[in-house]
Amino acid sequence: MTEQLYRFCILLLLLAASGCDEPKDPVFHDQFFAFGTLIDVSLYGVEPQFAESISKEIEQDFMDMHASWHAWQPSVLSSLNEQLSAPEPTAIEPSILPLLKEAGRLSQSSSGLFNPVIGKLIALWGFHDNALPVGTLPDSTAIKELLEQAPAVTDITIGDTLISSVNPSVAYDFGGFAKGYAIDRAIDHLRKSNIQNAIINAGGDLRAIGQHGDRPWRIGIRHPRENTILASIEVSGDASVFTSGDYERFFEVDGKRYHHIIDPRTGYPASSITSVTVIHSDAATADAAATALFVAGPDQWLSTARNMGIRYVMLIDKQGTIHINPAMQSRIHFEPGLDAQISLSAPLQ
Amino acid sequence: MTRADHILILLIVCILPLLYLHLWFNDEPAKFLLIQTGSNVPVTETLRPDRMLHIAGPLGESIVEIRNNRTRFVSSPCIGQVCVHSGWLSNAGGFAACLPNRISLRLIGQHPRFDTINF
Repeated sequence: MTEQLYRFCILLLLLAASGCDEPKDPVFHDQFFAFGTLIDVSLYGVEPQFAESISKEIEQDFMDMHASWHAWQPSVLSSLNEQLSAPEPTAIEPSILPLLKEAGRLSQSSSGLFNPVIGKLIALWGFHDNALPVGTLPDSTAIKELLEQAPAVTDITIGDTLISSVNPSVAYDFGGFAKGYAIDRAIDHLRKSNIQNAIINAGGDLRAIGQHGDRPWRIGIRHPRENTILASIEVSGDASVFTSGDYERFFEVDGKRYHHIIDPRTGYPASSITSVTVIHSDAATADAAATALFVAGPDQWLSTARNMGIRYVMLIDKQGTIHINPAMQSRIHFEPGLDAQISLSAPLQ
Repeated sequence: MTRADHILILLIVCILPLLYLHLWFNDEPAKFLLIQTGSNVPVTETLRPDRMLHIAGPLGESIVEIRNNRTRFVSSPCIGQVCVHSGWLSNAGGFAACLPNRISLRLIGQHPRFDTINF
């Protein structure tokens, strides 16, 4: 009996010791700047030279998309916006057609709370510049005039080769959508290159596919008001995690914060919540939904999420209360010691 | 079973719980600072000794402080100063960036808890 115990202890020690010699990190990491933010590429189990070349291809794709979709510098999109101010139909650049159609579909499913054609309003607020306005607010009369013209995707007719608008106030701005769409394209590129385990993170918004070897990807969600982790989720398979918050791009006037997510119904920054986090399979939908739910606020986020087919939502209001649907609650792990009230909503589906 | 065998078993019984705690529950603090400038390969800095780093970006020089195993942007030639207001980073996974000046800071440990951070 003592001999068996002795052997068992030796076996346990060997097993424990074997865990000490961990292999080198099998994840290839690369970073570059695009869309005015930092893009992180993480590829698991890919030969380094191949990973490097794929990452460079993705970087070039991001650069091309950023240049083509830029809302306030000469680009395919800014040319289109100029042409849309006239009533005559104009030719669509084929490369941008799927983007326009997808943005229109998502805007309609959000009942216009995600509105990709309020570019003129966003410009009025000074967010069409790398430097944010300091100490100046837009003219309220100009905001009112733009609101009265009510730019909406339903004003635009998109054919196979031609596009036209009945409302000269429409101007595309893909700020709440382009990163997600670009991440989806990058994931498609990875899969076509036979890479099945990866994360593309664009300025904090991300899509993860596959997993990290024999365990899921571990994703931390940062607290919107503190430099700490609020919660975490694990991803095995395919999930996009997007957060919209009032802390991303903002300026202050007389101590009041004015951020970049404009409510298309009021013309002013949406002001009822601090952040909203959405999990969805594709990044473009998650990106548009995070914007739409931020605008929807505490009263309308449930109905908006249902209409957009979103299953996982966490919303933090101005009082710091965390609103969460049951499916999200079962998926997310809050950090120990979290000091916040959690409000469980009705199911989304 | 000799006396040496008994001592060995006793040692194993004592060491195993410590190994278990160390390998599974040790929430390791940050070990290194990764500094990315533009699309260059990130530079790894140790968190000792305390010092100031002067990093050149397209807008000018950003100053980064390393003190007591923490780091922060002290100054940067950007308008918004979001990077400076980010304050001290102290845990592995901590991240701050001056996007206009294309400089990012990321603290890493030897066993980071998360593969990526959403914000």
